[in-house]
Amino acid sequence: MALTHEDVRKIATLARLRLTPREEERFAGQLSDVVDYIDQLQGLAAETPETAVEGMRERVDQPGECLPRETFLANAPASLDAFLLVPEVKGSGDA
Amino acid sequence: MPELWELSAEEIARRVRAREVSAAEVLESCLDRTARVEPLVGAYLEIFEGESRARAAEIDRRIAAGEDPGPLAGVPVALKDNLSLTGRAVTCGSRILAGYLAPYTATAVERLLAAGAVPLGRANMDEFAMGSSCESSVYQCTRNPWDLARVPGGSSGGPAAAVAAGSVPLSFGSDTGGSIRQPAAFCGVVGVKPSYGRVSRYGLVAFASSLDQIGPMACNVRDAALGLQMIAGADPRDATCAEEPVGDYLETIEEGIAGLRIGVIREIDAERLGGDVARNWRESLDRLAAAGAELVEVSVPGIGAAVAVYCVIATSEASANLARFDGVRYGFRSPGADSLADLYFESRSEGFGPEVKRRLMLGTFALSSGYCEAYYGRARSVLERMRWELDAALEQADLLVTPTAPSAAFLLGEKVDDPLAMYLSDIFTTPANLAGLSAIAVPSGVSADGLPLSLQILGRRFAEAGVLRAARAFERELGWVVAPGFRGAEVMPS
Repeated sequence: MALTHEDVRKIATLARLRLTPREEERFAGQLSDVVDYIDQLQGLAAETPETAVEGMRERVDQPGECLPRETFLANAPASLDAFLLVPEVKGSGDA
Repeated sequence: MPELWELSAEEIARRVRAREVSAAEVLESCLDRTARVEPLVGAYLEIFEGESRARAAEIDRRIAAGEDPGPLAGVPVALKDNLSLTGRAVTCGSRILAGYLAPYTATAVERLLAAGAVPLGRANMDEFAMGSSCESSVYQCTRNPWDLARVPGGSSGGPAAAVAAGSVPLSFGSDTGGSIRQPAAFCGVVGVKPSYGRVSRYGLVAFASSLDQIGPMACNVRDAALGLQMIAGADPRDATCAEEPVGDYLETIEEGIAGLRIGVIREIDAERLGGDVARNWRESLDRLAAAGAELVEVSVPGIGAAVAVYCVIATSEASANLARFDGVRYGFRSPGADSLADLYFESRSEGFGPEVKRRLMLGTFALSSGYCEAYYGRARSVLERMRWELDAALEQADLLVTPTAPSAAFLLGEKVDDPLAMYLSDIFTTPANLAGLSAIAVPSGVSADGLPLSLQILGRRFAEAGVLRAARAFERELGWVVAPGFRGAEVMPS
């Protein structure tokens, strides 16, 4: 399945990526190659005669100690008191 | 008399605990060796010079006080750049984590410290562990110590090269589709991908959470076993980490493989790889037989689809896991954005490199409305089938073997522009991740032009003891010594 430039732009938007025209060109070709390759999955046997059910262990929902807020905020690109600072939220509508 | 940097981790710890040598002397020897090989190889993004000296001094102080610092007393180790150590940078080889300092220590690293290990540095990797050559790191190029024109493999190329170059006897990486085993193969060292759930992932930056595992790399199987022993076992901070008890790997490691049934997978035709890999594969099977194993043929019809399944599952999980990198809470933030939406787009577009973008796009596509059932859903079903087939094969045989990689180390730049060719270098390693099996890459000889080749041994989930024991028997039969020639260097480092 060949991905068009339109497909690539749509996927990039979903992935919150902005591509340059050159990246768009390159990814359209490369991703089409990979999608062609993974298309082999469509024709394969996928019935499983018996599957051992292995669920994830449930953890007791117990409040525990957290790392202090300052520790995390120390990594923030911008913060004010106990808050993360970001540019204004309204504006570009595509997020 | 070998230099201290030439000793195994086991021997270093023995001598340090017996007060025959100090942790500080061992560390200085390794730092010296690192200073000589690092300009050629480039395995590290950072050397923890001050901190490692302080830790070694602390080990010596504890020894002097009559305490036992543990089974890795004074052993210098390298950590892949996706393992957290409080207060140290963790960048995953990516610009988007530039400036990030780990606010906590990974459970595996915490256990290494508790065992007396001395982290010597942070080793290079493909960006977010996405790659098979270490070339997608945005920070530097790591070269293969056997031939400096070649890749060390990836994504744990730095940890593999660090061990092969003699900088440290033991390093730790992560393996999502072969990221420990393939670079171990390319650099002529041993690499273990533990069963899913054997080692806590707490503090490992997530790539594909249903596949990621932390594991050791070393010059010999005993050291790899010792490294795994230290980090394995239940952890309440990782709900996917199993309660399954951890055996004593070194206790049974010398027991050999006489009478074990070792399965050769019919659908993997190693002869088709031709040349040295095919020749080495035949020799490896002969060695296993010479060591007393019974070779049996098993069938895993779906194994040919492993890379295709991996491409879908790993990228889908990555697209969800890497959504957290948005320029808000940590790491790189684009300076130019003037709205929140722009901040997400610009920070991610400037912060991620091409391979990560490619995989995020593929994963986003595989999970997107209209395609999710056809790609992600289908891949999950094929995965379940493959898992069932592998489990059935491991009923007929105690262990399975394959070559670790379809070729020896390739040239730098050779596959950079052909992502699919790069993905296919993981063709033999991905099944163990998809099925959650235990696996090891063990050196199996050299190609005609002197590059290391490797045998992969797979075992049932939590059968690490058997896998290590078989690898040790194979290693003994082969008589392997890690001795890279630094081809391309003007002067061989001392």
